[in-house]
Amino acid sequence: MKSIFKAVLWLCLLAAASNAFAQSGASKSAKTPGTIQMSQIAQISDFDESTWAQLLKSSPRPAAYLFTTSYCSSCPDAFEQLHKAVLHKAPAMPLTVVMMDVSGAQALRHALHFQGLTQMYAFDGYAPAIRYSVDPAWPDVTPYIVLIDKQGHLQRSIGAPSAKALRAWLG
Amino acid sequence: MAQQAAAPAATGMSGHASHGPRTQLATGVAFGPDGSLWMVGLDAKQQLYTANSTDLATWSTPHVLDVSADPISADGENRPKLAFGPSGQVVISYTRPLEKPYTGWIRMLRSTDGGATFSPPFTVHKDSQEITHRFESIAFDASGALHTVWIDKRDMLLAGKSYVGAAIYQNVSLDGGLTFGPDSKVADHSCECCRIALAQGPDGQLRALWRHVFGSSTRDHAFANLSDGAANGFKRATFDEWQIQACPHQGPGLALAGTSPHAGYHAVWFGIRKEKGVDVAAARYARLAEDGQPVAASVRALPDPQAEHADVVAIGDKVAIVWRSFQGGQTSLKAWISMDGGKTFEQRLLATAHGNNDHPRLIANDSHVVAVWRTDEKAEIHEINF
Repeated sequence: MKSIFKAVLWLCLLAAASNAFAQSGASKSAKTPGTIQMSQIAQISDFDESTWAQLLKSSPRPAAYLFTTSYCSSCPDAFEQLHKAVLHKAPAMPLTVVMMDVSGAQALRHALHFQGLTQMYAFDGYAPAIRYSVDPAWPDVTPYIVLIDKQGHLQRSIGAPSAKALRAWLG
Repeated sequence: MAQQAAAPAATGMSGHASHGPRTQLATGVAFGPDGSLWMVGLDAKQQLYTANSTDLATWSTPHVLDVSADPISADGENRPKLAFGPSGQVVISYTRPLEKPYTGWIRMLRSTDGGATFSPPFTVHKDSQEITHRFESIAFDASGALHTVWIDKRDMLLAGKSYVGAAIYQNVSLDGGLTFGPDSKVADHSCECCRIALAQGPDGQLRALWRHVFGSSTRDHAFANLSDGAANGFKRATFDEWQIQACPHQGPGLALAGTSPHAGYHAVWFGIRKEKGVDVAAARYARLAEDGQPVAASVRALPDPQAEHADVVAIGDKVAIVWRSFQGGQTSLKAWISMDGGKTFEQRLLATAHGNNDHPRLIANDSHVVAVWRTDEKAEIHEINF
């Protein structure tokens, strides 16, 4: 039931988002070599207390995960820095956004602030517990960013990562 | 020991389907003039409602309010609030999110019959752009003037991306929310998504404490007398020197200290500061002088590295601080109690919960200090006995 709902919701939302994205002109920059087009996002997936451990095993490498909220107005700028860092990388680098406080259509509205994202998750459950599963030392501050390099090494930051961290991540 | 008075939620007022929209639990509380405790929040159907408790143990039947189909932010730092005026007025405020992300209008309902009935919602501020007017706080000062204070991005819109952070604005109503004065700027360059703490000073005028961006990226706190009138007449109240371009989502708490006109204030806040070269994140406490500057020797971290969303109240030398803390699969509601004006504290565990829960609120009147903590199951009332 849940997956059916999600699929139907996504079909509706994807059309709306793609249209809005195209109208905003953002789709132009999304066609650059190092990024994946917005319309290639398959779905907004649930992110619960078990998701992070699974992602650490299955995530492509390198990859970046940015955790945000609907009220984090500094998060798009941090994402833009990540996006710029990978813009001309080939193959395309996956940039994932995880919404912590809203899901579904509300989350999708915010996807338009993250040009170049390739996957979007939304918290499904109690936010502090999910935060704890990602990093017990992560206070309630966003953007919280995890960079996973080719070897699977993790770098974590509150706010945009430093230039040094980006260099280390991209090898 | 604190007494726990668990108030069962009315049917439909709490809980949520596991994969439906999460119930927004952020709740405002206030004591009414008759000593009853009031709360305002959203139910599981996203309806705004009030309830009150005369025994600090049970809540009345929820009273759902007509908000003319306004969507309402009631999550995290952005919660509905209510305040009682000197002549039977009750006002309820909330942020109505607009279509564009990060934007909102501050809306208000007004009652002149003690909260039995309320007006339709109206927008408090004069500015009607689709920008941030959010994270409002409301309070009456001792003269009966109603102050609404909020985070506002009109100046950023004018200045462009070079403008750091947002701004703090306020307006004042001298007739309990019937009419409002002009929007006036309190300070440029506030942080963008933390609650603003308000407390009456010894003169009855309101003081505000908010997270501020000093320089280009130092997110500490600023303190101002809201009756001063001039913009940017604030003092720096914390010196964590946290250099960050991020949103902490944790606003401060503020309470008047003692009865002496020069006693100053108690403050709690979250920040990250370098200690011996290491970043230490903590919710911290300090005494502030009467002009808002910190008393350096009083600064200390709360005794819980997982502490978040702390609040503080004080009655004379009695000080209560509460916070929530997640560890080991459950959230704890903890208190730090002082009988000597904040010189020494005793820690208490007030409650634990599994699942979703709100930030704790502390509220006091002449007779009672209570912490209200809303979970998926209920809005708990914990009376603090000193």
